[in-house]
Amino acid sequence: MSSELERVVTVVPEAGLHARPAATFVETVTDADSDVRIAHATDDDDDTDLTPAASMIAVTSLGVEHGEEIRIVADGPDAAATLDELERVLTTPEDELGEENATATDTDATTDTNA
Amino acid sequence: MPEQMSRRTLTGTGVTPRAAVGTVVWYDRDSDLEDPDETSVDPQTELERFENAREAARAELEAERERTAERVGEQEAGVFDAHLQFLDDPQIESGVASAVENDLPAEHAVKRAFADPIEQFQDMDGRMAERADDLRDVRDRLIRLLTGSERVDLGDLPEGAVVLAERLTPSDTAQLDPDQVAGFATVTGGRTSHAAIFARSLALPAVVGIGDELREVEEDATVVVDGETGELCLDPTDERREEAAAASEVDVRTDPVSTADGRSIEVAANVGQPAELDGVRAQGADGIGLYRTEFLFLDRQSPPDEDEQYEAYTTALDTFPDGRVIVRTLDIGGDKPIPYLDLPDEENPFLGERGIRRSLDSDTELFETQLRALLRAAADGDGDLAVMFPLVATVDELDAALETVDAVATQLDAENVAHAVPELGVMIETPSAVFAAPELAERVDFLSVGTNDLTQYTMAAARGNENVEALRDPTQPAVLRAIARTVEAAHENDAWVGMCGEMAGDPELTELLVGLGFDELSMSAVTVPDVKAAVQSSHTDEASAHATRALDAATREQVRTQRNE
Repeated sequence: MSSELERVVTVVPEAGLHARPAATFVETVTDADSDVRIAHATDDDDDTDLTPAASMIAVTSLGVEHGEEIRIVADGPDAAATLDELERVLTTPEDELGEENATATDTDATTDTNA
Repeated sequence: MPEQMSRRTLTGTGVTPRAAVGTVVWYDRDSDLEDPDETSVDPQTELERFENAREAARAELEAERERTAERVGEQEAGVFDAHLQFLDDPQIESGVASAVENDLPAEHAVKRAFADPIEQFQDMDGRMAERADDLRDVRDRLIRLLTGSERVDLGDLPEGAVVLAERLTPSDTAQLDPDQVAGFATVTGGRTSHAAIFARSLALPAVVGIGDELREVEEDATVVVDGETGELCLDPTDERREEAAAASEVDVRTDPVSTADGRSIEVAANVGQPAELDGVRAQGADGIGLYRTEFLFLDRQSPPDEDEQYEAYTTALDTFPDGRVIVRTLDIGGDKPIPYLDLPDEENPFLGERGIRRSLDSDTELFETQLRALLRAAADGDGDLAVMFPLVATVDELDAALETVDAVATQLDAENVAHAVPELGVMIETPSAVFAAPELAERVDFLSVGTNDLTQYTMAAARGNENVEALRDPTQPAVLRAIARTVEAAHENDAWVGMCGEMAGDPELTELLVGLGFDELSMSAVTVPDVKAAVQSSHTDEASAHATRALDAATREQVRTQRNE
C-alpha cells in the first residue's frame, strides 16, 4: 500500500513562496518524517517536475508567487499530518507567521525598509 | 595624464549637506579566495571544518536574528530564517561533500557549492535576484569563518576612511568613530534608514542606497563622498577633491547668535544617543533642544535604574555648562518592542497608548524613576535642565504630569536628596494641543512644537508613507497656522516657545520661523551652522512681514513663492 498523498494549495502570503514563508515551509518539511516534493500545479501533473521540498534553494527557485497554486506530494508515515501542516503554512498571511509581535513595523518611520 | 576610462560617479541618496574625500575601507565584503595549494587535502578533515563553520554561522545568524527582531521587528528578522535554511540546504551539503572529495579545501568547496545556485537566481528577475544576495551573504559568512578573516574593526579605522558596506546596522554605527571616518556609502538604505539618521546627527558625509554598483569599488581607492548631491565619485579629479575638502570645512559658530537687529535666538540640536554629544558641540549648538531618552530603555532586558539615568542626564548637562538641555520624558508606544514593558499590540500605534499616555497609566513607576533622576540631575549638572512631556493632548494630562513632578520633589525632600525642579514644558504635537495651547502655556515655562508629529497628525499623513509625502509638509497653510497659533498662545501666557523637528533645520525656513516669533530652534546637529548663519542674516521686521504673508497664503505653493518676495 502506498502512503503517498498529494494536495493542491493556493499560496496566501504576499511574499509568495520566498523569504520567511519559504523558510517556514522548508523547516516544516525537514521536521516531518515523510519525503515531500512540490511543483507548480498544472493541468497535466507530471511527477518528473517534482522538486525536493527540503531544499530552500529548490523551493525558492520555483518562484511561486502570492495567489499561485502548488502541488505538494508527501510520502511517508505522517504524510497526511505533514500535508495539513504545510497547507496551514501556505494559507497563513505572512504577518501572522511566526512570532506574535510581527505588526506595526511598517509604520515606524525609522525602519530601514531596504534591510 | 589622460582621463581614465574608470573615472566614474555612482549615485544614491545623499543624506547630509556635506562632502569629503577619503580612502575606501570595505566593511564585510565578499572575501576573495587565493587559489588552493596543489597539495591534496583530507576530505574528512575538510568536512569537519565545514561542519564547524556551519555551527558557528548558525550561532551568529540566530544572534543577529534575535537582535533584529528586538530592534527592528519580527518581519525584518525573517531574512535570517531564510539564511538559516540556506545554510542547511541539502544541495549545498552535497555540493560541499563532492568538492572536498575532489581535493578542494573547505572554503573552496563552499565557494563551488554556492556557485550554481547563485548563478541560477541571479539570472532570474526582480525578487528572485535578491535571493542570489541572500546566498552570497551565507556563502561569505561561511568563507569568513573558514579562513578566519575578521571583519574590519569599525572602532579602529585609519583616519580619513570612507566606509563602504552593504548596510550599516545600529550596532555598526555605534562603533564608528566620527573623528576617524570621512564618510560612508551603502548599497541599501533610504533617507529614513538608521544609517542616514546617524549620519545627519554626526554631520558625516554619507550616500545610501547606491545599489549593486557599489560592490565594484575597490579597497583603498580614493573617492569623494558627497552627501549633498548623493554622489560617490571614483578616482576623482584634483579639482573635485579640492571642492570636497573645501566643502567639508564648515563655518561653525560656537557663540549664541542673534538676528541682524539684535534679537537672540537659541539654536540647539536634537540628540538621540550619548555618543552624539561631542559632535553636537562641535557643530556649534548652544545646547540640546530635544534629548530623546528612548536609547536608555531600548535594547535591554530590564529598565535603567535611577542612578544610570542620573549619570546620563548629568553627562549631557556637563557637556553644555552654559547652555540648556531639554529632555523629553520617555516617548514609547506599540511600534517599538521593549521586552520588559507590556506594550499592547495596537492596530495603529501612532494613535494609541504612547508618550505621556503610558507614563500616566501603565508606566507610572518608570515615569517617577525618570523624574527622580531628572530632578537630581537638575541640581548637580552644569547646564540648565528643562523637561518636556510628549504627546500631551489634554490639560488634564498635563496637570497629572505636573502633580507627579510635585510628588517626586516632595519625596526627594523627605529623603534629603539634593534636587531641583527644572523648567517644565509641553510638546505641541497634536491638533488638540494646539487648540489647548493657551491653557497649557499658562501652566508651564515653555512649549516646544514637534513639527514632524504635528504635521502628521494635522494632515492625517503618516510618517514614512511616500504616497502622502506632499501632504506631510509643515509649510502646508494649515500646519503653519497651527504653529502660529501655538507661538501666540505661548507668548500671551509668558511662556517661551521652541521648535524641534525637521522644519527647524531648514535654513530656507529660518526667516519665517524668526518672523513667527520662535525663541529657540532645535535640529539635527549637521544643520546648526547653516541655521545660525540664516538667523544672523535675518531681520525681525522683514521676517515678521514674511510670516504675515505666509499665514495669508491659501496653498502650499503660495507659501513657498512668497518666501522670495
